[in-house]
Amino acid sequence: MTALLDAQDEAAALEYLHANDCTDGLPVVIPTPERVERMVLASGLDADIDLGPMGPGGGATTIAKIAANAVMAGCLPDYMPVVVAGINAILQPAFDLTEVQGTTHSIAPLMIVNGPMIAGCDIASGFGALGPGHRANASIGRAVRLCMMNIGGARPGTSDMALLGHPGKFSFCLAEDEASSPWEPLAASYGYAAEQSVVTIVGTEAPHSVVFVNDADDPDSPQRLLRALARVVANTGSNNAILRGGTVAIALNPEHAAVLGKAGLDRSDAQKRVAALATNPRGLVRSLNPGFGRDGDPDEELSSVDGPDNVVVFVAGGSGLYSAVFPSWAAGAHGNPVVHAPIETDQACVIPSRVE
Amino acid sequence: MRDGIEMARRDRAVAALVTDQFWPQGHFVAKSNGMPQVPRVRIPHPVAGTGHAAMANLAAAIAPRLIAVLRGESPGDQADPNDGQTVAV
Repeated sequence: MTALLDAQDEAAALEYLHANDCTDGLPVVIPTPERVERMVLASGLDADIDLGPMGPGGGATTIAKIAANAVMAGCLPDYMPVVVAGINAILQPAFDLTEVQGTTHSIAPLMIVNGPMIAGCDIASGFGALGPGHRANASIGRAVRLCMMNIGGARPGTSDMALLGHPGKFSFCLAEDEASSPWEPLAASYGYAAEQSVVTIVGTEAPHSVVFVNDADDPDSPQRLLRALARVVANTGSNNAILRGGTVAIALNPEHAAVLGKAGLDRSDAQKRVAALATNPRGLVRSLNPGFGRDGDPDEELSSVDGPDNVVVFVAGGSGLYSAVFPSWAAGAHGNPVVHAPIETDQACVIPSRVE
Repeated sequence: MRDGIEMARRDRAVAALVTDQFWPQGHFVAKSNGMPQVPRVRIPHPVAGTGHAAMANLAAAIAPRLIAVLRGESPGDQADPNDGQTVAV
């Protein structure tokens, strides 16, 4: 059940929402019943459908509550199916949302969108896709975060114990640049048809930049790129390098993706190579964090990921020198796996105010 | 705290050790899991990394309280249901 607030005007309502910890600290759109109803209609689902309890607080994740948070985040109604898919993904038991919300690590759900809804919602995949200036990216990711706070009950220092957090905890959503990718869409890796829109989510740190300058005259260039990426995956400050597990994500900019594509390497090849190269000597790991590594041969190379499937490779960003690695949390009962959910658009109906 | 709650649900004697820094979170978790009064003992923060001697001293200091809680002779440190702060230590 969602309580209704009476306020003198929207400015007063906003102050009430701030004062009652219902915002992320930024102004929100006031979720009036009319706005929420339009958002529910856009989902094509009944308002009282409950997707399940959301940890750590265990709030009931109804479509009405998701819609209210989507309104607050500034979503257009057209974005609602993407938000619902994102929520469906993070509610999967494998995502360990309760622990994700409560950990002292700086993990946040990185949302990667594939399929026709990229164009349908104008979700950016290019320059600054994770930065400011893209309404769909900003508001869809923010809607998921507001749900995590207002339905899941995550509050800094009380139930969200991230020691520092990262800016992606405001919003962390982008699309894959399918047009520039030399490979099939990321979602196809998980068995989805190209016409199916999908949200893929990995719980990660903020992006770590990876600089790489290609040399078309150097036949080793593609392998050099993979080595450069692997060294950042194996960054010994990251949990996955020390706890040795979890799922890391790599956003290849189109230029870097083309280097691999032209060399005849597919996504699977890149995943395998990065997983194989992302290692650190046991002695180095133990010298930095003795509590997180069994004693043994100090020269033995320890993998920083469990295997190729735990390296999510997608194409995004503007073309240039920089790709990005998103290190993992590498914890939780399920070990921080990738999760995904289809974006259901066949339930949609006409929103009354948009009828011509 | 979650481990303590799971044990309590199995009718096992429990005493969750919660550090100062995580005291409000411990209460939030206990409350949201429907067991706001699950026994807990508040200890200083941090514990990890303080060294064997400090941990041994802490263990020795809290052992009598832990045993009392596990025996049901003490409710442990209780949290104010409103703000999660300790009201009795």
